[in-house]
Amino acid sequence: MDPDALSKAFVEHYYTLFDANRGALANLYQETSMLTFEGQKIQGSQSIVAKLTSLPFQQCQHSITTVDCQPSGPAGGMLVFVSGNLQLAGEQHALKFSQMFHLMPTQQGSFYVLNDIFRLNYA
Amino acid sequence: MEEQAEMVGRAFVDHYYHLFDTDRASLSSLYQPSSMLSFEGQKLFGANDISSKLNQLPFDQCKHLISTIDSQPSSPSGGIVVFVSGSLQLPGEEYHLRFSQMFHLIPTPEGTFFVQNDIFRLNYG
Repeated sequence: MDPDALSKAFVEHYYTLFDANRGALANLYQETSMLTFEGQKIQGSQSIVAKLTSLPFQQCQHSITTVDCQPSGPAGGMLVFVSGNLQLAGEQHALKFSQMFHLMPTQQGSFYVLNDIFRLNYA
Repeated sequence: MEEQAEMVGRAFVDHYYHLFDTDRASLSSLYQPSSMLSFEGQKLFGANDISSKLNQLPFDQCKHLISTIDSQPSSPSGGIVVFVSGSLQLPGEEYHLRFSQMFHLIPTPEGTFFVQNDIFRLNYG
């Protein structure tokens, strides 16, 4: 699968899961995974999912504006750079965000998130 | 390892944007033939093409103001991903442009880092 198609597929899968069933994101991280969420650093699938499921909103909807990807090196990794909007239920205005994923291949032929950095884009 | 990633990230960001704002042509020293840049969706490969693109941007002067820098180690071999947000001021323009940029730094045998991956996006709206 070509890298652009792969990254778009990943992004769609990630945010669909996030918006529908945040706990299921655990499958996309491993013990070595790192998340920096608005400057807070978290390591490992369990802690990362605990952080994401404890975010102060029940429902949200991500809408993606741009997806850029590049191969990261000989190990087969992919860097994916996303920008978009995050609509929280009951809020009038959507939040703008940027997020970077570094995906690494698994032995089963899929990808997991090794590095994840999320930032809101304030005006 | 994480603290080192943060230190390298900050030092690199400082150096990169200082060069960009004062001597854009010398940015070529930070890229190699294997480097990739995605600039507002346009893909460029190799230090020469990347440097050409940056030198041809439609402004002579600019100033980057950095708001956030987040870094993480990307591999056991010493790579670092750096995620930056900030604003770009062009002379004569009243409003700053907001941007996000991601670098993947790879260590060189000489003990420095080069940019293997570079993705730049303006943040509109």
